[in-house]
Amino acid sequence: MNTAVATDERAPLSERLEPYMAIIAPMAMIAAIFLFMAVASPDRFYRISNLELILQDAALYMPMAMAMTFVITQRGIDLSVGSVAVLSAIIMAFLVKQFGFSIYVGIPIALSIGALLGLINGLVITRFNVPDLIGTLAMDLVYKGLALLLAKGLVLARFPDVLTEIGRGQTPFFIPTPAVIGILTMVAGYYILQRTHFGRYTVAIGSSPESAELTGIGVKRHKVYAYVLCGACAALAGLMLTGKQNAIQATMAPFFNLHVIAAVVVGGTSLFGGRASIIGSFSGVLLLAMMLNALVTLRIEFFWQPVASGFVIISSVALYAWIQKKDRDGAGGWFADLKTAEGQKTVRFAALIIGVLIGLLAIGGIFAGDPVPSG
Amino acid sequence: MSDQQPVVSMRGISKRFGGVRALENVDLDAYPGEVLAIVGDNGAGKSTLIKILTGVYQPTEGEIFVDGERVEMANHADAAKMGIDAVYQTLALADHLDPPANMFLGNELTKKFLGFTILDNKKMRDETERVLMERLGVRLRSLDASTDSLSGGQRQAVAIARAVYHEGLRVLVMDEPTAALGPQETARTLKLIKTLKAQGLAVILISHSLDDVFEVSDRVHVQRRGQCVGVALTAESSTQEVLGMIVGAKEDAA
Repeated sequence: MNTAVATDERAPLSERLEPYMAIIAPMAMIAAIFLFMAVASPDRFYRISNLELILQDAALYMPMAMAMTFVITQRGIDLSVGSVAVLSAIIMAFLVKQFGFSIYVGIPIALSIGALLGLINGLVITRFNVPDLIGTLAMDLVYKGLALLLAKGLVLARFPDVLTEIGRGQTPFFIPTPAVIGILTMVAGYYILQRTHFGRYTVAIGSSPESAELTGIGVKRHKVYAYVLCGACAALAGLMLTGKQNAIQATMAPFFNLHVIAAVVVGGTSLFGGRASIIGSFSGVLLLAMMLNALVTLRIEFFWQPVASGFVIISSVALYAWIQKKDRDGAGGWFADLKTAEGQKTVRFAALIIGVLIGLLAIGGIFAGDPVPSG
Repeated sequence: MSDQQPVVSMRGISKRFGGVRALENVDLDAYPGEVLAIVGDNGAGKSTLIKILTGVYQPTEGEIFVDGERVEMANHADAAKMGIDAVYQTLALADHLDPPANMFLGNELTKKFLGFTILDNKKMRDETERVLMERLGVRLRSLDASTDSLSGGQRQAVAIARAVYHEGLRVLVMDEPTAALGPQETARTLKLIKTLKAQGLAVILISHSLDDVFEVSDRVHVQRRGQCVGVALTAESSTQEVLGMIVGAKEDAA
């Protein structure tokens, strides 16, 4: 034990920083974006209205990122948040617009429907033993299909003021109303994680499902809770989205799933379970919102957005995996083992695929005829 | 020790899994303030025996008495209520949580806050420090670091502390506590076992290491092919003799 104490005092800087990486990494990236934009486009990026816009965009993802943090910490994943958001918002819209429901009933109904859809996800996963990834992906298709069936391509628009206030209102202070709601859900998430049985068991389940089971924790029950939370928060995001646009249609929110998972993972919550960081998820959401805003400000085409989100997921997961790897001293980087016989085989295989592709393109190019316009 | 009443007795325990006879007519007594070691080859029925004792399995035949009264245990929770608990080989720790969270895992201390029941992290922390110090004589360098940063012996201490925190605990089953430990950590764990014994607990130790068994135990219960082939007083026996009972050399010679 003495040696352990000794090594601990002399721990390298990287090791002592490790617990704080979840906050440092996104903050560093946020700072990098701030610096970059200060050079690239300071006049448009640093306008108050633009900063408010960033907060408003980020707010939409805050409830979902908070809930997704719990799901991912339990070694799960929810790929249905986008459809849950849209479906519950569309049902709410129908009740309010077509059936004359009060918006004050419609909002709780939407949240309950989100919770119900989350409950279905959770039961599919825990009762039928469908893996989280497949279960929620399949339910995503179901919910998306139902939303399309209900709305039939209609756009439902013009809602009572309460909803637009939720979606794009302004508090007397700098912060928009949706950001207030988003930050409140984040704060609530932080306390749930630290101070409730559910939060404690979420980490325990993600850390070791077997141990959790042995200590008498209802593993399946708490998994269901996490999905219910995720569904309800997705519905809240659906309401915020509807309010923001003052309209809802079934094809909205296409990149919700990827975006939310990216935000959570950037924030240092481990995809392998057991490590949760609500503050990290919060900064992850801010980071992604700033990144997308920067893309817009720089007039880069909108369709780069999923490319950027995917890139952020891969790079942050790789970074955290690298930080976690304790024996990296001898490994010598990501590509060092390409020199070994095993690595050489991979290199040759990759070369083969690329070679075939280049060959096919060459053949196609040589024998190409006149272009035929489609349609 | 025979003048004392055993805290737990198992009589004529048999367990069949389908056609496989895992245990046949096994008796076991554990007295307060003693360490009873259970040894035997793989498949001799050690694990099945303690799983019956801790309520995880139910015996096909046979009876269990706690303080002389016959009891039925439907699950592990029933056994825990009667003061019988186990520290598993895997320790059942959640490595990402800190020691206090692990010690109270599944049994958290709570307080009321604005009508909500919330976890009382501070109290759990204080209690962990107290139990580790008072019951086990262990002081951890940090109670805030995650449990996977602890040494094997310290992790063991946290798992044991979880079991002994339950005031009514009288029988503690330890499944291969030293299997994954180095010599120094093993010595520390054996010291923990002696500490628990001195506090009047009946400790049932399952081990493959006869050295450990002879260092801490008072009696050795030898299982062979699902049967108890003898209970030896450690002080009057030798490694050779116990080893002979485990492999059945005596029977074969006879």
